[in-house]
Amino acid sequence: MANKSVILRIKRQPNPAAKAHWEEFELAYKPNMNVTSCLMEIAANPVTREGKATTPITYDSNCLEEVCGSCAMLINGRARMACSALIDHLEQPIRLEPFSKFPIVRDLATDRSVIFENLKAVKAWVPVDGTYDLGPGPRMTQEEQEGAYPLSRCISCTCCMEACPQFNEETGFVGAATISQVRLFNTHPTGKALKRERLAALMGDGGIQECGYAQNCVEVCPKDIPLTKAIAEVGGEVMKQAFVDLFRR
Amino acid sequence: MASAASSTTAPAISHKIKEGVAPLRAGQGISFFLRRLHSLTGIIPVGAFLFEHILISNSTAISGPAAYARQVTFLGSLPLVFFLELFFIWLPIAFHGLYGLYIWYRGDGNVAEYPWTGNWMYTLQRWTGGIAFAYIVWHVWTMRFAGIDLHAYPSASFGKVQEEVFQPALFIFYVVGLIAASWHFSYGIWLFFAKWGIITAQRAQKRFLVFCLLFFFLLTGVGLASLAAFRSRPQQPIEPGMAAKVTQSAESR
Repeated sequence: MANKSVILRIKRQPNPAAKAHWEEFELAYKPNMNVTSCLMEIAANPVTREGKATTPITYDSNCLEEVCGSCAMLINGRARMACSALIDHLEQPIRLEPFSKFPIVRDLATDRSVIFENLKAVKAWVPVDGTYDLGPGPRMTQEEQEGAYPLSRCISCTCCMEACPQFNEETGFVGAATISQVRLFNTHPTGKALKRERLAALMGDGGIQECGYAQNCVEVCPKDIPLTKAIAEVGGEVMKQAFVDLFRR
Repeated sequence: MASAASSTTAPAISHKIKEGVAPLRAGQGISFFLRRLHSLTGIIPVGAFLFEHILISNSTAISGPAAYARQVTFLGSLPLVFFLELFFIWLPIAFHGLYGLYIWYRGDGNVAEYPWTGNWMYTLQRWTGGIAFAYIVWHVWTMRFAGIDLHAYPSASFGKVQEEVFQPALFIFYVVGLIAASWHFSYGIWLFFAKWGIITAQRAQKRFLVFCLLFFFLLTGVGLASLAAFRSRPQQPIEPGMAAKVTQSAESR
């Protein structure tokens, strides 16, 4: 029990142009460890399993409680959050890799800014802007709130995009997260002012049509967002909007 | 967008630096139209034709050569039959098949990393589509364009099919093609209802999946029964003169 150790195999790359290589680390086991806490321990003492001094691992993290979306990486080949990946539940040696579909910054840190470009492209916000108090907004029914809340939990971690077979450089697919945010803001009583623009944006290349319904998104989502339901609902709305645009605009 | 270009002093580039996936191109392109047309053609007319072909027309083979010849005669006598074939069968299948191969080429299947049901279905839909398309191209060529013309000699139909299904390798190809096309269509119906926003909730989608599975067994079952019917009877002649006569006598069997 006392001598139990944790072994991590980490894919490293000092800069975007360099070739990737693997390094192995061994840490003393402690109860309730998670992947982020392991990376912190390595940073405190960056020595590989063979005893070779190395640099601390670069990775993104912030909240350490699965609400900020920073620390997404491939853990044993699957897209998930490092902070909520408990060592007790992982098969060893634990394999850590950066996301495969985003430009690598260094080690486990990737540039996932494409999701923000996508959220901007669909205007994923409530358009209230002005210099004076607009007063209280329209009320939402309990039922509407219960439908919207799960969607509002999205942390933009991009796990759904990494795991999606359709999300790649060939398709330029927008990904499940952005589509679910269209659903969220289109049901918001003030947000729906931009409904048509959002639906029209999803008809562009890389839009909702690229979804192949492999449903990995809903499986990997750390926040249990009903992504496939959102995609189906938005798919229907986009289709209706396409007909309206065709005949009435 | 922060690009992959690094600020460090020109490192030796040993591989292609990943550009990353492009953001949504709102308002650009016609891929939405093409992809939805692909989805629609899979149901109507391609799927509708498969329904007719297996459940209505080919199943008449179970009743024997005469019934089969009557059905082929009826289909061949439809007005402007060449244009019906062209616009409701060949062109839609060509578009659905070729655009489908393009969709397959652009996706990156990942069942090894994410071995879940939906992901297996995604991969299976591509393989069954590819197999069915290859089978259909061959099947249309040998049945419609090569050998005896069945529009002119409908009574030779039963024998012409028998010539193929009596060869073990071709019989296996028939069975594989049948199963692939039936699966592709059945799961395609499920996909259509999901993608067009008709059935959205996960529980309802699961129920509908059972329905689609039953439909697959119906298509495959009737298709196999029809194939068995061709193999269970002696080879019918396919020479233009002979065929008409033998079919008459077969009716009394």
